[in-house]
Amino acid sequence: MKTCGEVLVELLDGYGIDTVFGIPGVHTVELYRGLDNCKLRHVTPRHEQGAGFMADGFFRSSGRVAACFIITGPGMTNIVTAMGQALADSIPMLVISSVNHTYKLAMGHGELHELPNQRNLISGVSRFSHTLMRPDELPELLARAFAIFNCDRPGPVHIEIPIDVITAKANHIDIKIPSRPYAPSASAAAIEAAIELLKTAKRPLIIVGGGAVNASDELIGVAEKLDSPVVNTVNAKGVIPYSHPLAIGGSPSSTIVRDEIRDADVVLAVGTEFGETDFDYFYLGGTVRNGKLIRVDIDSAQLTRNQKADVAICSDATLALQMLQQRMSDNFGKDTDGVGRAKNMRVLLKESRNSGYESFFSVIRSALPDVIIAGDSTQPVYYAWQHYETEFPRAYFHSASGFGTLGYAIPSAIGAKLANPSRPVIGLIGDGAVQFTAGELASAAELGVPVIFLVWNNHGYGEIKRAMINGNLPQIGVDIHTPDFLGLGKAMGCESVRAQNLGQLETELQLASTRQGPSLIEVRQEDFADGYV
Amino acid sequence: MSKSCGEALMHLLEAYGVTTVFGIPGEHTLELYRGIEKSNVRAITPRNEQGASFMADGYARVTGEPGVCTIITGPGVTNAATGIGQAYADSIPMLVISSANDSPSLGKGWGRLHETSDLCAITRPITAFSTMVHDPSEVPELIAQAFTVFRSGRPRPVHIAIPIDVMEMPVADNWQPYKTPALPIPGKDAIDEAASTLAQCESSVIMVGGGAQHASNEVVRLAECLNVGVIASNAGKGIVSDDHVLSLGGGVISPAVQNYLAKAEVVLAIGTELGEADSFIYDLPVNGKVIRIDIDPARFSDAFPASIAILGDSQSACTQLLAALENQDIRTRSQNTKAELKQVRIQQNTDYTDVERQHIRLLDALRDELADDAVVMGDIAQLVYTGTAAFKARLPKTWFYPAGFGTLGCALPDAIGAKLARPEKTVVALVGDGGFMFTVNELATAVEEGLSIPIIIWHNHSYAMIRDGMVKRGIPEIGVNPVAPDFIKLADAFGCPGFNVSSEDEFRTVFRAACEHQGPSLIIATENDDWLT
Ligand SMILES: Cc1ncc(C[n+]2csc(CCOP(=O)(O)OP(=O)(O)O)c2C)c(N)n1
Ligand SMILES: Cc1ncc(C[n+]2csc(CCOP(=O)(O)OP(=O)(O)O)c2C)c(N)n1
Ligand SMILES: [Mg+2]
Repeated sequence: MKTCGEVLVELLDGYGIDTVFGIPGVHTVELYRGLDNCKLRHVTPRHEQGAGFMADGFFRSSGRVAACFIITGPGMTNIVTAMGQALADSIPMLVISSVNHTYKLAMGHGELHELPNQRNLISGVSRFSHTLMRPDELPELLARAFAIFNCDRPGPVHIEIPIDVITAKANHIDIKIPSRPYAPSASAAAIEAAIELLKTAKRPLIIVGGGAVNASDELIGVAEKLDSPVVNTVNAKGVIPYSHPLAIGGSPSSTIVRDEIRDADVVLAVGTEFGETDFDYFYLGGTVRNGKLIRVDIDSAQLTRNQKADVAICSDATLALQMLQQRMSDNFGKDTDGVGRAKNMRVLLKESRNSGYESFFSVIRSALPDVIIAGDSTQPVYYAWQHYETEFPRAYFHSASGFGTLGYAIPSAIGAKLANPSRPVIGLIGDGAVQFTAGELASAAELGVPVIFLVWNNHGYGEIKRAMINGNLPQIGVDIHTPDFLGLGKAMGCESVRAQNLGQLETELQLASTRQGPSLIEVRQEDFADGYV
Repeated sequence: MSKSCGEALMHLLEAYGVTTVFGIPGEHTLELYRGIEKSNVRAITPRNEQGASFMADGYARVTGEPGVCTIITGPGVTNAATGIGQAYADSIPMLVISSANDSPSLGKGWGRLHETSDLCAITRPITAFSTMVHDPSEVPELIAQAFTVFRSGRPRPVHIAIPIDVMEMPVADNWQPYKTPALPIPGKDAIDEAASTLAQCESSVIMVGGGAQHASNEVVRLAECLNVGVIASNAGKGIVSDDHVLSLGGGVISPAVQNYLAKAEVVLAIGTELGEADSFIYDLPVNGKVIRIDIDPARFSDAFPASIAILGDSQSACTQLLAALENQDIRTRSQNTKAELKQVRIQQNTDYTDVERQHIRLLDALRDELADDAVVMGDIAQLVYTGTAAFKARLPKTWFYPAGFGTLGCALPDAIGAKLARPEKTVVALVGDGGFMFTVNELATAVEEGLSIPIIIWHNHSYAMIRDGMVKRGIPEIGVNPVAPDFIKLADAFGCPGFNVSSEDEFRTVFRAACEHQGPSLIIATENDDWLT
């Protein structure tokens, strides 16, 4: 007999899922029945929050979806934060959990791990949350999840399976994967309207967001034909390589870029929500725009939020850009001086760089040229947000924007390394945030993955301390006792060293990249940068 | 002088008797900290908001007063969800004050920092109520409603979310607490019917749960008056001393105890859900007539419908029952209950497995070292399951095993909360090697606060409970044997002593030292070590 749990594993395999993160519990053991003779790799974090962040880093760095197997109740409440971070940044993730027996659901009998209504709780951090009542509906549900991942605004999906359904007989289930829906493309009329506007543009500007992370070629094509500078949100770093003459780099929050957004006569925004964390993280006031706006987004509702579009195109970013590109001649954009404007902005942005942080990242780049950085919310990350530039997408991401949580970088970097075994991966994290998820250092050691944890130690919650000082507030709860990070790393099974200057940092990064297992490198803020960004 | 809403709220909480709040400051909660400075409330900073809610839970469990969390919106709340869920499952009073994004942005999906589509919807399934404040003037009433839940009914967590713009608004009034109503008193008819039923039956048994924590004397007197055995739920352990001749200890795992329960003609259930998680038994063998005393009317119609339902405060119910029984001829009185219970206990002792006997070796030594009023916080670990039946708790609120939600990693932060509330008592945490890793970071909090907490780790290099389940079901052992860190080095990195113990004498010596130490200590007992077998 095949159980629903075993069929689930077969279906996941059919969808190309190769990694699942989870901590087994009495309620999920039956999901593990099929796991020994299949291609799925199971990875055990030390907390379900770690499972979620690992799946998140796995996807951001590779574009491949991972699954999580989570117990009902506390397992799910533990993973909520990671799902929240993924939802805020439109990161797909398949969360499969158990739930109590079908006949006990919502009865409130005081079952182990009982929640009155788990789905209500999870709905707020997922694209959908569904209870599987019979094995028969499983293929349809998974098809729905993957339809959202591939051709809708992605985000975490939660499927909860009652314990009695996990073990239900499922021999009859057809495990053939249905054809996947094609992503929606733009209407000809919308493209026509956009082209008409773009034709008039003398000072166009392209803003690219995370929704266009797979559309590098098309985006570069449109930018070149339009001769328009391109600015990116954090989730779109590298979609246009920084070395490209039309790349501005920086962030839409930089004053220089904000001014350009204000003065551009036509803005083409592709796959960005115009969110505050990307467009106004210095709280200078909302985005000001005097020109026209063309927006491309796969989520129709998103096209109405934050900024009013003159032409709103509901479409997959790649397809819309392809269509635009086809409608543009090679010298479509005339006298727009895209290259010149981009260069000016690049120069101005570079002048605003802080030399301490700049050298710090230069060393990282030179030691590990094809590095992937998973950042947390810490001082150098705020700096990297604006000033760390990449040549490829999916090479830099962090938790400081969007949901803005702490403790993300350690598990996320582990996930990224698992997805990219041949590339160096750094988890860049503050001393405060390390203490949110330090247990995952042990997961990295157990996995034997050579991931590098770069701990930025300024002895406390630096960002909040600064806010308290600025607000004339008492400094309470910010100068926290921090562990000895080298001792902690070693106890957890990571090679652990402190780098006290740039030279040591370079050496240690290179050494770490040749090891078989994880490394922790502690850097003290006072050794590398004075004051704040 | 006018205060900000956040500041005024802190003063109001102080007037309700709040002395301690648990939270990690963020830019969205700064106004609360302004209030903290100007009040006598102390702020404790955990290392993850999950720690905040567990600490608040531990604080509430030993005091009966609400534990208070002050946390940021979004990830702060989702991190706290698990501790809130635990408090919900076990009817523990907890007040969660969080920030929320500024009012105009709520529900708009603008992509604000820490944004959720509907913050209160996430916590609604794990709270008595969860409300967004619109105007400061609502705050005093909402806090009064919360304290009514805590003091006048079935206690449960309450979440009040305050948008940052509201938090900063000036308030003129000097907010004062409302008078909260006393617990409702049961009606006389139900009491009389119960009294005559209990008096006339041939056999009865008392099941006591967390709802009778404050009614210890009354329950003991009732048991003595009826001359019947008492079985404690996981939450009711210690209400009647485990050394009392009429006590059968906690849990119903032992077949001997199950048989005793099954035979009873009348079951008097006082403040217990009779749920799976209370007893570890899926179908509790209750064959007799059920009399239930509960503060929550919904309980009377659950899996064990009440033949006689006594709605109201358990303490008052017991007092009234005693009075009503005074002139009755009680048949169970003349029976040889004590001898019968003695037999049950002897049988119970032969039911233990090898590993459980190892646990008992340690638990007996621990009991011997502890004063009667010492507090033991148990995690979800095999050592603790055994302790439920085998550890001799002598007073209420001294043995805690939050079995309802059953979440790993609760014991250390719960112990921190308990120790802060009751610094004069010895507070011990019992954890497994797996569960400990979920909240290992909170060692830093305990060090920072100088809290003397011996933490006893039962080391079996495994999520043993789940591994055993897999083995039993013929499922491959995947994800259940996580590699543990070097606990001694780990302790050292956090700045606390750590010991491997290899004899009972050594355990005792080390334990005494740990009680003297002004900070946490790790004591590691390894399964199958000679001294335990
Ligand atoms: C879950 C969560 N809790 C609290 C915050 C508020 N917060 C933002 S930054 C920060 C300080 C983090 O300290 P650290 O990781 O040491 O970085 P630093 O700013 O010192 O570089 C805090 C507490 C948050 N963003 N997320
Ligand atoms: C948050 C959470 N995740 C997973 C589980 C499932 N679970 C229950 S007991 C257990 C094993 C815990 O291992 P350990 O703490 O070492 O205790 P042991 O069973 O070995 O005594 C697990 C994984 C749980 N209860 N809570
Ligand atoms: Mg274990």
